[in-house]
Amino acid sequence: MVYGLWFMANSAFAAERLIEVKAKKFVYTPNIIKVNKGDTVKLRLISEDVHHGFFVDGYGVKTSAHPGQEGSLQFVADKAGRFNFRCSVTCGALHPYMIGYLYVSPNYLFWGGAFLVIFLGLISLISALRKKQKDERLKLFGIIPLDWRFPVTKFKPVRALLKSRWFPLLPIIFNLFVFTIILMAGFIGGLSAGNYNFGVMIVWILWWVLLMTFMVPIIGRFWCMMCPFPLIGDWIQRGKLVNVGRQKSWGLGKRWVSKWRNLWPLVVLFWVSTWFSGFFTVKPFATFVLLGAIILIAIITALFFEKRTFCLFICPVSGFQGLYSNFSLFGVRSRDPEICKKHVPKTCVVGSEKGYGCPWMELPYEMNRNTYCGLCFECLKTCPYDNMDVVLRPFGQDLFAERRRTDDVYNRRGTDEAFKALTMIGIFLSFFLAFQGPFGHLKDMVTAKTFGGYLGYLSESFSVDFLLLPGLTLLFAYLSKKFSGNKEVKLKQVFVNFAYCFVPVGLAVWAAFSLGIILPNGSYLLHIISDPFSWGWNLFGTSSIPWTPVFTGIMPYLQVLATAIGLLFALDFGYKFSLRTYATVEEAKRGWVPILVFLVGVHIFFIKLFTG
Amino acid sequence: MKKNEPVAALLIILATVGTVVGILAYEKYARSGLYTVELIARSPLNGNWLARIPGGGWQSRKFTVPYGEETAIRIRNIETVSHGFALPDFKVEPPINEIKAGEVKIVKFVADKKGVFPFMCTVWCSNEHLQMNGEMTVE
Repeated sequence: MVYGLWFMANSAFAAERLIEVKAKKFVYTPNIIKVNKGDTVKLRLISEDVHHGFFVDGYGVKTSAHPGQEGSLQFVADKAGRFNFRCSVTCGALHPYMIGYLYVSPNYLFWGGAFLVIFLGLISLISALRKKQKDERLKLFGIIPLDWRFPVTKFKPVRALLKSRWFPLLPIIFNLFVFTIILMAGFIGGLSAGNYNFGVMIVWILWWVLLMTFMVPIIGRFWCMMCPFPLIGDWIQRGKLVNVGRQKSWGLGKRWVSKWRNLWPLVVLFWVSTWFSGFFTVKPFATFVLLGAIILIAIITALFFEKRTFCLFICPVSGFQGLYSNFSLFGVRSRDPEICKKHVPKTCVVGSEKGYGCPWMELPYEMNRNTYCGLCFECLKTCPYDNMDVVLRPFGQDLFAERRRTDDVYNRRGTDEAFKALTMIGIFLSFFLAFQGPFGHLKDMVTAKTFGGYLGYLSESFSVDFLLLPGLTLLFAYLSKKFSGNKEVKLKQVFVNFAYCFVPVGLAVWAAFSLGIILPNGSYLLHIISDPFSWGWNLFGTSSIPWTPVFTGIMPYLQVLATAIGLLFALDFGYKFSLRTYATVEEAKRGWVPILVFLVGVHIFFIKLFTG
Repeated sequence: MKKNEPVAALLIILATVGTVVGILAYEKYARSGLYTVELIARSPLNGNWLARIPGGGWQSRKFTVPYGEETAIRIRNIETVSHGFALPDFKVEPPINEIKAGEVKIVKFVADKKGVFPFMCTVWCSNEHLQMNGEMTVE
């Protein structure tokens, strides 16, 4: 009988497949089911502990089983590809991440995606090899000049809004209101189900997804602009909420250690905060503790250190927003450098009665990179000549900006930003495998079911983020240098320059990851806005809307698309980095080949992760 | 310009303290009239059923309702797994099969018998599921 089924499954004809799936917190056995297109799948679902469900992405069919009361499901596997099957009945803290993979072969999407990646790589290679001389102007995809800018503040209402002292204070107060509810829901929610908690859902589903798919890639540090956490610290330092108070802090106003005036503290702190991802992304009280701790640390930092030291060097989520906002479409820039040159004292740095000297300790008059610009718009308010603009520019302009900042070491291209870019890829890998993969033991490791498993997760995360990925990049940087034949350039410089390829790549894979979170689980948001504390409220009449995954069928296609877009930018930028790294076009061409191979290889791996 | 500071301070206080007070007041005064007893469903290892009578504090696995009146029980499942609720000696409306994690249900019945009656969980919620029960007194 079994042999017969096996035989039929392997024949070209549609077969009937009987599959028995056991469900247990938070894994299915088998966690991977393979069928052929056209097969009729007959499934028995058996629960080994509590009420579990079984929903198939893309097919939209589901069943559920209580212990001792099995569920059954029958459907024709008429769509090819890899589909997640996931739990549809809240069964514990990690319920939204209880996932298995259904393979309906042939997997066209994986092969198509891999082919697309190789095709893009070849196109890039050919166009690079055909290049005879260095372009006068760098052009994005050979079309849009990378130094192109359009000042949005040309429009009077925009400038008036940004010059108002109530902006961005009003969005900050609105977020203060939202975060008050989040903290309250986190506290009241305790250890209840995260997917029915306002705090967990707004922060880890809505906020994170908006951050990675819209805010950071388009507007840069848009979140930093309206983040409510530094409000109390600002007030302590300034003595005023909206008007201009003291320029010098009421607190101790100490300067941050100069050795750490870069992204390194944030590289480490964000990585450390991911140690606890298995708790605060699923447990309301852990979210409360995390946010509460961040608020307290922000206040204490404001007492001891000057200005926005907290945002610059301590806030864990500041680092990737800063680095990635070098890719974003908008930035604050001075218009006419001549005006700035003559302007003494520079009010954008020291402040005036109209506003504060740059709270982010930038030099706005010569700023040409976004990493440390928090979009507070104080410089627009203080400039007496209206010489500061918010400009629209092509993606990635800042990735080519060399900073010649004389007073300080920070805001340059360097190993700190390179490691930030690479660790973000490693953290994505851990998150994807743990929260969107079918592996129960990984979920147990991340949520520290056993101490040994937890140590395993931490050491895996360290090895991938700080050894494997930087090691691989260094290896290919070394090959690039060897291939180029250039002996002058330092290996460190090659490594740093090419590591910036991982800025668009990182944004793309995080956007793809976000789709895998929001499309299946976004409908919980409708419930929690109506009943934020699980008290039975129904504010907007949406609290009884059941869990409804949307677009799960096209989700893998969107993930492949995101990956391909990331690669497209990485290839375009990468070759330009090569031209900048090496002295001649010939060297740049030869030096580009190993990096191109590396990027294509990494992206085939991503396609495998999302679809294969 | 001078008025800006007090306006901002007021907005900030409204957004924080005002929000918390508003939420607690709404729950306490506008919604407490909807039910007579509040029950929290928890697995035996996490503390079992917990009951609150308005003005009467919290009690584990026990509550009392007045005889002869229509009683409304609000049941909150604050856990991460499904629970159920049954009060077999009375006609409970609407009947409940399952209270999913995070769900809140309000059930009504007329307490037309005096005495002590059992209530229990009806969904296999853990290995200790069969101990998840309690007693309701009608007097």
